[in-house]
Amino acid sequence: MVDLNLLMSTTIYGSVLALLALGITIIYMTTKVFNFAHPRLSLVGAYLAATAMAVYVQHAGIKPNFEGSQVLGGQLIVPYPASVYIIGFLVAMVGGVLAAMFEYYVILKPLLKRGADFLKLMIATLAYDFLLMAVLLLYNTHVWIKKTLKDGLNLIATKMDFSAYDFALITQGQTYISGGFILAVAVTVVLALSLYILLFRTTLGIKMRASVENPPLAEVLGVNVERIYAISWIISGLTAGIAGFLMLLEPSSGSLKPISATSPADEIVVSAFAGSIVGGVNSIFGSIFGGFFIGYVETYVTNWLALLLGMKELFKYSRVVSMFIVGLTLMFAPQGVIALLREKKVVDRILAFVKGRRGEK
Amino acid sequence: MARAIMKLENINAGYEKLQTLFDVNLEVPEGEITVIVGPNGAGKSTLLKTMFGLTKVYTGRIVFDNKDITKLPPHERAKLGMAFIFQLENVFANLSVRENLRLAGHDLPPDVLEERIKEVFETFPRLKERVDQKAGTMSGGERQMLAMAIGMIRKPKIFLIDEPTAGLAPKLAKGVLENVKRLNEQGYTIVLVEQNVKAGLEIGDKGVLVVNGRIAFDGPASELLARKDLARLYLGVGGR
Repeated sequence: MVDLNLLMSTTIYGSVLALLALGITIIYMTTKVFNFAHPRLSLVGAYLAATAMAVYVQHAGIKPNFEGSQVLGGQLIVPYPASVYIIGFLVAMVGGVLAAMFEYYVILKPLLKRGADFLKLMIATLAYDFLLMAVLLLYNTHVWIKKTLKDGLNLIATKMDFSAYDFALITQGQTYISGGFILAVAVTVVLALSLYILLFRTTLGIKMRASVENPPLAEVLGVNVERIYAISWIISGLTAGIAGFLMLLEPSSGSLKPISATSPADEIVVSAFAGSIVGGVNSIFGSIFGGFFIGYVETYVTNWLALLLGMKELFKYSRVVSMFIVGLTLMFAPQGVIALLREKKVVDRILAFVKGRRGEK
Repeated sequence: MARAIMKLENINAGYEKLQTLFDVNLEVPEGEITVIVGPNGAGKSTLLKTMFGLTKVYTGRIVFDNKDITKLPPHERAKLGMAFIFQLENVFANLSVRENLRLAGHDLPPDVLEERIKEVFETFPRLKERVDQKAGTMSGGERQMLAMAIGMIRKPKIFLIDEPTAGLAPKLAKGVLENVKRLNEQGYTIVLVEQNVKAGLEIGDKGVLVVNGRIAFDGPASELLARKDLARLYLGVGGR
């Protein structure tokens, strides 16, 4: 029987990974930088959003309401008014964008102008990651906890467990649909569609694709390639911020909580990069696929192994599954799974295999 | 002599710390074809790229249409009416013909852009047949055609063309140079770097010989073509 809670939790996790992998891929395609600080950008969004939501809730005198109202034969439980979530969503995006722009303009662009190579840029992103980690930890332990204690906000700050914000649709019986799950799916689909329209239906999209493919040619045709790079960083920061907001809605019932550790970005970075590599570091839509793929495989393989071996603590090592998939991808499909599928030979082989199976029956 | 649309004054330039051009002074007459020739590695393409801001200028001044453009980035030069056609990778292989043309005229009003696309299709009817095809799937000659069409969309004041016949079969190369001549007949000023010295100078008005990053000859193309001593020494043509 399908464990609905696990499925919902994994879907949110997959969405977070898809959004993070998407941001990593966009930046790699445009500026040729493997941004190790990217998952941490999402935490900047998450922290700022959580702060803004808490402050807003307190100042507006909003009391959480866990009573449900009847909708479509079910019970909708939204503890806070929509305005709280909208504020959190917007602040998370702004936080992600600001952190990304700081990284690009203050750290990477000056290095790029000095002709820094791939390795130097990568190390610089690691340095920025450590810097952000320190700042967030300082904020977590000094500012956030003090604020929480002083004002008595109903949040467990040290573990960053914001599941109080999750909302739910409880249908007849015990079926529970997490609000985070609904939002995660909706946001990822809307974002993917928006990106498709931007890239393939607008002049800005043509400029972006051109700047990725051949920057000098785009430049001589009057495209301000540096501005296009800056736009890519904005989009990347935006997706990181949204991922951060989704982390806030991770249901506590799930087996995987990306932000339950003090410094979750240290772990999630592995899975986010795995998503980008599996989808193909040069494929925007591949990265979305890769993120979901890693999210599901990591969770379900670990779950299955834990049950098989009777070892619950295996969940601590779920990232090993991601690393294993990355290894397989780099060995057999270094351009990513999507690039492999694009090759007609592979599609033909799969079709021939399917036809063969049908023929046997 | 025609007005100089572009002037290079005492240019010293190169790539970061590697200087490849030394004290270059050059004038490009408006409405004419200036052909730059020279041995391999002499700095012909660097000279062309320097005109467009694709190299580092250490000292000197570049004036285009009476405006000092020495410090302008390439995308700003494009807006002033300059077009550059690279030797290789001069179209976006992953974009369709239409997308390539749309990108080239991205800052034109939509109706003007559509009109310009129609005009280039009249000049290069083959491109109209390939309008939705990805540029990467077209033949070398068709890609050169598209590269020129991309340049024409903005109706630039000057075309800088880097070795358009490199790697093409002689018949295709001849066609490409005919297209260059046709562009010039439509009123465009052209600076052409050409490896096929004879064919290039034959369609040119002005000839420039670059040797070791310096200008070794600057005069009428026909005169350079007739200079057997220079041709033998630097260009590998002319015989004994």
